[in-house]
Amino acid sequence: MAKGFVAILAGLLVSLNVWAGGGHGQPLEKANNDLRDKASLQRGAVLFSNYCQACHSIKYMRYNRIARDLGWTDEEVVEKMAHGLNKPTDAVLARGDLEAIAKVLGTTPPDLSLMARRSGPDYIYSFLLGYFEKDPEKGVWDNHYLPGTAMPNVLEDKYRFADEAERRHAARDLTNFLEYVGEPIKLYRQSLGWKVLLFLFVFFIIAYLLKKEYWRDVK
Amino acid sequence: MAEHNPNTPDFDKPGTLLQWLDKRLPLVETWNEHVGQYYAPKNFNFWYYFGSLALLVLVNQFVTGIWLTMSYKPSAAEAFNSIEYIMRDVEWGWLIRYMHSTGASAFFIVVYLHMFRGIMYGSYKQPRELVWIIGMLIFLVLMGEAFMGYLLPWGQMSYWGAQVIISLFGAIPVVGPDLATWIRGDYVISDATLNRFFALHVIALPLVLLILVFLHIVALHRVGSNNPDGVDIKKVKGPDGTPLDGIPFHPYYSVKDTVGAVAFAFLFAVVVFYFPEGGGFFLEPPNFEPANPLKTPEHIAPVWYFTPFYAILRAIPDKFLGVMAMGAAIGVLFLLPWLDRCPVRSIRYRGTSFKLLLAMFTVSFLALGYLGTQPATPTLTKLAQLFTAGYFLFFILLPFTSKHEQCKPVPTRVTYHG
Repeated sequence: MAKGFVAILAGLLVSLNVWAGGGHGQPLEKANNDLRDKASLQRGAVLFSNYCQACHSIKYMRYNRIARDLGWTDEEVVEKMAHGLNKPTDAVLARGDLEAIAKVLGTTPPDLSLMARRSGPDYIYSFLLGYFEKDPEKGVWDNHYLPGTAMPNVLEDKYRFADEAERRHAARDLTNFLEYVGEPIKLYRQSLGWKVLLFLFVFFIIAYLLKKEYWRDVK
Repeated sequence: MAEHNPNTPDFDKPGTLLQWLDKRLPLVETWNEHVGQYYAPKNFNFWYYFGSLALLVLVNQFVTGIWLTMSYKPSAAEAFNSIEYIMRDVEWGWLIRYMHSTGASAFFIVVYLHMFRGIMYGSYKQPRELVWIIGMLIFLVLMGEAFMGYLLPWGQMSYWGAQVIISLFGAIPVVGPDLATWIRGDYVISDATLNRFFALHVIALPLVLLILVFLHIVALHRVGSNNPDGVDIKKVKGPDGTPLDGIPFHPYYSVKDTVGAVAFAFLFAVVVFYFPEGGGFFLEPPNFEPANPLKTPEHIAPVWYFTPFYAILRAIPDKFLGVMAMGAAIGVLFLLPWLDRCPVRSIRYRGTSFKLLLAMFTVSFLALGYLGTQPATPTLTKLAQLFTAGYFLFFILLPFTSKHEQCKPVPTRVTYHG
């Protein structure tokens, strides 16, 4: 009986360990991005436009929403992210011909609106930094976090011509922007939350005192 | 009531609005029977909050659900987009959606605790067998309601979760495959499935749920509430004919349940505003990816509130027998009032055998719930089989142990330390 119990406990502990590890082969790097850092989000938006948007859309976002949340005017966002080619009310779509891109890469680049919610900011950050040159002669790259990925190393210039700090900086800004894109109201949600909790706390005290008063005569 | 015969009210006599209404609708009578003069035992403890909380969550699901329906589009092409539209463009859409998704999990938390309370204090025993049966029907419909609602966001887990569960019907001999096709309305989960699940989720099942909840409460009020001592308070009445250990539901329990409701709302708000994904259990990460019939996720797990039963299903090597075991795990709960043959209701006065069996049952249920979230490795499957045995052993042994149970004497009055 005791032996069986120990075996069960051991089994549970082992499986809990596997669960905590998340099942990925490579441990993820911590992005440590900060949604409150507007400058970082702005840099991330411009980086997204320059490095990602040829192939990836964030179709659930509109330019003017980004402008409003990141502290730009409508004109600024169109200038910085779309080079004056889109209307502020347009959805942020990929600029390239996705069918042609799919023929070259063998897969359609996914929409990134919810990538941060699907896989987490740490995954995006690690993935962006996870490229390594598999075949320097032919210039073929692969990724530690998604071996055999069809995605080329779009940050190649940051790998070749920038130091590690600058590369990490760019990856963090991009990650930050994509986390914002995943849930644009996240900061507002958190800032509203404690006010609701404070109200409920006060309400609780009043309700509790009222209950105590009523129950005074229950013997 | 005293001034006139209620059967032949004087319709010409002028009076207040309430009197006018009361002559045409039994307002005062209904209020008194179910609220104002419904005598509940005064010794309700912490466990007795979860009934009223379940009602509160039901209201939350109805209200937020109606508002979600205003912007949601039940089509395979538009469903996922419309959810993101709600999350980003609809005023307060994110709050309504998080309240609904958190509410689904909260519903099962409070209902599981409510059911556990019933088992602990023997609330299913005579004369409350029907209250228990109706409650079990509510649980069953709730599972259907949650299952169908989970398909609607049309994410990867919505799609593949539904695919796995509906294919279970295919395991039934002879009629199985046709039955699964009939449920889906197609050979795979498709637009047709989404549309019918939407219809069932927003009107058919909520309607059934509402009727069952109504019956649950009416049946309870007919026989009166149980309490942590399992004592029948109607046996000891005062000179005015009301139970000495009873207090009117209103204002005593309406004000007490308000305290519980606000405390619950606080915890609920913590989740809604700070942990809306519930650690990946309330909103699962793969569901942020649109349904893709051509790409099976590496690990399909149902939402946490189904995992104990899912673990039982997987523990049995044969698919059909697994489906039967899963059905039996829920079905056997209906029989509890007759499997338990001990006349003492509350665990406070019951024998050691019941306490041990209940502990085994509880541990098994929780362990199965955990195992159901995990991939089925050989070790974990062995554990799931062990705990499946523990789950069913409770129901198998109970009729025998409860017959000869060494119980403590039950007092005639409830214990209450005011």
